[in-house]
Order: sequence, then structure tokens, then C-alpha cells
Amino acid sequence: MVVADGLTGIDGGRIDPAVLDGKAVLVVNVASKCGLTPQYEGLERLQERYGAAGFTVLGVPCNQFAGQEPGTPEEIQRFCSTTYGASFPLTEKLEVNGRHRHPLYEWLTAVADTDGRAGEVEWNFEKFLISPAGEIVARFRPQVEPDDDQVIRAIERVLP
Amino acid sequence: MTVAPATVKATEVRLGDRLRTRSGAELTVTRIDADFMGRADMLAFVEDSEEQWFKMPALRDSDVELVRDDAVG
Repeated sequence: MVVADGLTGIDGGRIDPAVLDGKAVLVVNVASKCGLTPQYEGLERLQERYGAAGFTVLGVPCNQFAGQEPGTPEEIQRFCSTTYGASFPLTEKLEVNGRHRHPLYEWLTAVADTDGRAGEVEWNFEKFLISPAGEIVARFRPQVEPDDDQVIRAIERVLP
Repeated sequence: MTVAPATVKATEVRLGDRLRTRSGAELTVTRIDADFMGRADMLAFVEDSEEQWFKMPALRDSDVELVRDDAVG
């Protein structure tokens, strides 16, 4: 599956493709010092609710939005686990916009949101839902909370 | 040549201006987006260059830090 190809985890090791393959994956660019950072709580609730049913959140730390993810990998990982108890995998810090954006986001940002807008990630905590078959099935802008009904419905529609 | 900070209204920022965020990061504005996150009272400054892609939102009536090159001596 494209999403799993060549991804490096926050610990510097390769993310095991088995963590993502065959699952519904909610890819979210995260930041530790953003007004939306409490969305980690909702993301972890999704992980707890659907993790055993073939779903995972994949957090993507990114420092391109006002420099709100400035920490080292260790600091980011510690923040997520101690502040929010996040149990889902995190990638290394990636660029999600611009000429050096990661191939994962080249793929993701080609998809439009519900208003028909594709292209750049708008801000921290934008969400892309990938089906177990590896198709991007939904894009939710940052203001859409992780436990919003439209996110829940979309996840439940694609669970394996 | 020294770098002197100055403060300007967000609405007075122009393309090519160099800004400093509260976190200390800097960007050279190559694009100004209106209605950041759908809010008419906000805009966003973007540097989309070979060096970096970086976005900094601001309230339209707020002050932002402008980094100026001032010739000294």
C-alpha cells in the first residue's frame, strides 16, 4: 500500500508495513504547540474505539505551520504519550506542503475535500482517510474534530 | 549590516517582506491568503520557495514582526 511505502517512524526506524497494510488509516499532520493540539484526545479515542477492528491513526509531525512542532523526535514522542496517552504510530517529522513535500502528501493532497478543494494542507490536524484497499476516501479540514459524525461515519464505512 | 526588528500591521505586509513568528522562525512572504481557515478576520502569510514552505496566520488587525535589513555604518 502506498501509504506504508518507505515511511520512517518517529524513533528513526522504518514503520512496519504490517502496522498499516489492510487497515483503514486516518493520516493526520500533528503539532504539539497548536490551538488544535487537544485533538490528540479525539484521535486517541478513535484509536481505542476502532483499533481492534482494523483501523489506525497515523500521526505525521510537521513544523511548517507557524513552527508549532519544533521539538526533537524524543520530545514529540514524549509529549504525545505523556500528555495525551497517544498509542498510535507517528512518522518522523515530514513536510506536507511545498516543493519538498513527502511523496505521501504528494499523493494525499491531490484529493479534494468535501468542498471540492484539493491541494495544500491548510493547517495542523488535517485528516485523510485511507481505505484498507489503499484508496483515499475522505479528506477533512483541521476544524473537523476527530469524533465528528462525518469522520465516524466515514471510518465505519471502510472498516475491513 | 544589522537586522533590526520592526512591527507592522498585518494588513500592511507586502510580498517580499521577511517576518518572524513568535516561535522565532522566519519567512519571506511570497503569498498572502485571505480568510485563513474561513475566518474573514484572519489572513495567512506563506513562503513557498526552494528554501522552505512555511505558513504563518495572523489576525488582520494584529501587529507582526518585520525583519528589516538596515545598513549601519
